[in-house]
Amino acid sequence: MKFLSTIVALFLLNNIFAYEFLGEVILDNRYFLNEGTSYQDKIHSSFSYSPEIFYEEEDYIFHLKPKIRKDSQDPKRNLLDLQEFYLLHIGEEREIKFGISKEFWGVTETTHRVDIINQTDFTEGFDGEEKLGQPMVKVSLEEEWGVLDIYALFSFRERQFSGQEGRLRLPLIIDKNESIYESSAKNKRTDFAARWSNYYDQLDIAISYFSGTTREPRLIPSGSIDKPLIPYYETIDQFGVELLYLIGSLAIKVEAISRAGQGDRFSAATYGFEYTQVGIFDSRIDLGWIFEGNHDDRLKSSPTVLGTRLSFNDELDTQILSGFIWNDVSKELGFLLESSRRVGECCLIALEGVYFEDTDEDNNEPKLFEAFREDDFFKIEFTYYL
Amino acid sequence: MSLSNFLYLRKSIILCIFGMLFIFSGEVLANKGLEIALKSDENFDGYGDSSSEMTMELISKKGDVVTRKLRFKRLEVPGDGDKSLAVFESPRDVRGVGILSYSHKVEPDDQWLYLPALKRVKRIASKNRSGPFLGSEFSFEDFSFQEVEKYEYEYLREEELDGILCHVIERKPLDPYSGYTKQIVWIDSENFLTRKIHHYDKKSFHLKTQIFSDYKIYNEAYWQPHKVTMINNQNGKSSVLSFREVKYKNGFDDRDFSQNSLKRSR
Repeated sequence: MKFLSTIVALFLLNNIFAYEFLGEVILDNRYFLNEGTSYQDKIHSSFSYSPEIFYEEEDYIFHLKPKIRKDSQDPKRNLLDLQEFYLLHIGEEREIKFGISKEFWGVTETTHRVDIINQTDFTEGFDGEEKLGQPMVKVSLEEEWGVLDIYALFSFRERQFSGQEGRLRLPLIIDKNESIYESSAKNKRTDFAARWSNYYDQLDIAISYFSGTTREPRLIPSGSIDKPLIPYYETIDQFGVELLYLIGSLAIKVEAISRAGQGDRFSAATYGFEYTQVGIFDSRIDLGWIFEGNHDDRLKSSPTVLGTRLSFNDELDTQILSGFIWNDVSKELGFLLESSRRVGECCLIALEGVYFEDTDEDNNEPKLFEAFREDDFFKIEFTYYL
Repeated sequence: MSLSNFLYLRKSIILCIFGMLFIFSGEVLANKGLEIALKSDENFDGYGDSSSEMTMELISKKGDVVTRKLRFKRLEVPGDGDKSLAVFESPRDVRGVGILSYSHKVEPDDQWLYLPALKRVKRIASKNRSGPFLGSEFSFEDFSFQEVEKYEYEYLREEELDGILCHVIERKPLDPYSGYTKQIVWIDSENFLTRKIHHYDKKSFHLKTQIFSDYKIYNEAYWQPHKVTMINNQNGKSSVLSFREVKYKNGFDDRDFSQNSLKRSR
């Protein structure tokens, strides 16, 4: 990293005026309807700041984006992370990225099965879309036959879990300091990944492979009373496939994985569709329907999601996404709401709400949302762009 | 042959001739409409590529103005539609969002959206083209390259528009997902540049008026309007698109319009 920093510094001093300085400040307030199962507070606030620097030349891009987060209640939710810190060289035949970055794989909306390059920051939200920066060297080839990305991933990032005072966590505390790895190199193992993607008319397709330390640890008993669980990171190999097929306004999506290394080889998939009605009732408003089903060999049952996305197409770009999660075996129901609109030219305000209901408490099926029983909440998030 | 039969036959022949005349004149008008559209389209032949910076002003009924900025570049693809890449610069919350489009002459266009916050490339249905673009009075359809093959034409008349002699043609989108049933297009008779379009919605109501102005010529061959105004006759709002830093022949190739280029477009 020192070597990289020196190169970057020398490179950048070259032309101090070609930078672009950006950034965002986010204030986030979550109001829980009840105290937590371990009597955690009802109101949680956090502040985060991400300055951003871009530098671009004919063949090079430099990008730096640290993220700092401070939480009012849960120190485990404090974060200092380099989300982006890389140099990208754009060649005639290929691109090389060197440094820390985020890479997204996938096509579905609610669950991201194949996305594996970056570790998830579960303290941020449970859609799993907030990620930690991953050190890497990435080579990307783009030809007639599609795009082939090859990755070497260095220095493993551990999953972020909420602490004692945090909400939206398991009832038992996870001790991150005692994490165990299957690999003798522990968190220093170099992982490999590759993904090929292409499109044929209305079909987008991608096939991926990952070999390395799992991003999704199993939680095993530690023997300690204070912190009874520890994460166990096994070495896995995983194949992934992504398909998206368009028929008019209908997008059919499938994401599936097959993973070995955590007990028996297993498969998991998310599949569904998204259908958009443009200009409903002769208005400017678009209505999108999202249906996604899940399958996971490890679980007895997986939830199904039905949602709608309303895009108002106004000057403030008002959006309302709402949906139900239903688990037919455990009879659990969840309701989600996400909406946002622009405030002035500088800012964005977002409202989010989550509500869980167990419609049949007497059945003996494993409950998926049991841990979040008291965690119904709504959230107001205000973003100021610098 | 009996008299009645003869009369019947004569009637049929007359009807037939009238019918043919009618079809023939219809065809002539259709051909003339198409001819003008083709001539107008020839203006872009061999342009190679172009780039520009756009400012879009959204003007409310009361006259309040909000501004959007984007960068736009385009590549000519001989024998097919064009490739284009639009990247938003403001407002800040959509900064870096990119739209990559491969338009085709007849088949549906291919379109991908890049969301920089998630670093995600998302294929989008080009059938949803009738929706508003960035909250403006322009639709995605108004923004995309209007291939001649995507319409059916009829010549209407010659008419003077602001002192310029124009051909007025009617075109009907062949795409069933278009937001319009027909468009009346004013094309000047000197350089065959589009000057004005009346857009008719699904109920054949004259919904929007689009005016092209401040034409300038680049590389002694390519005419570019520097101001495009879209007035919505229904809600009283309008949107004005202004072009700056227009450049032709930048030397772009397919790699500047690839999936990877979308990801680094920000």
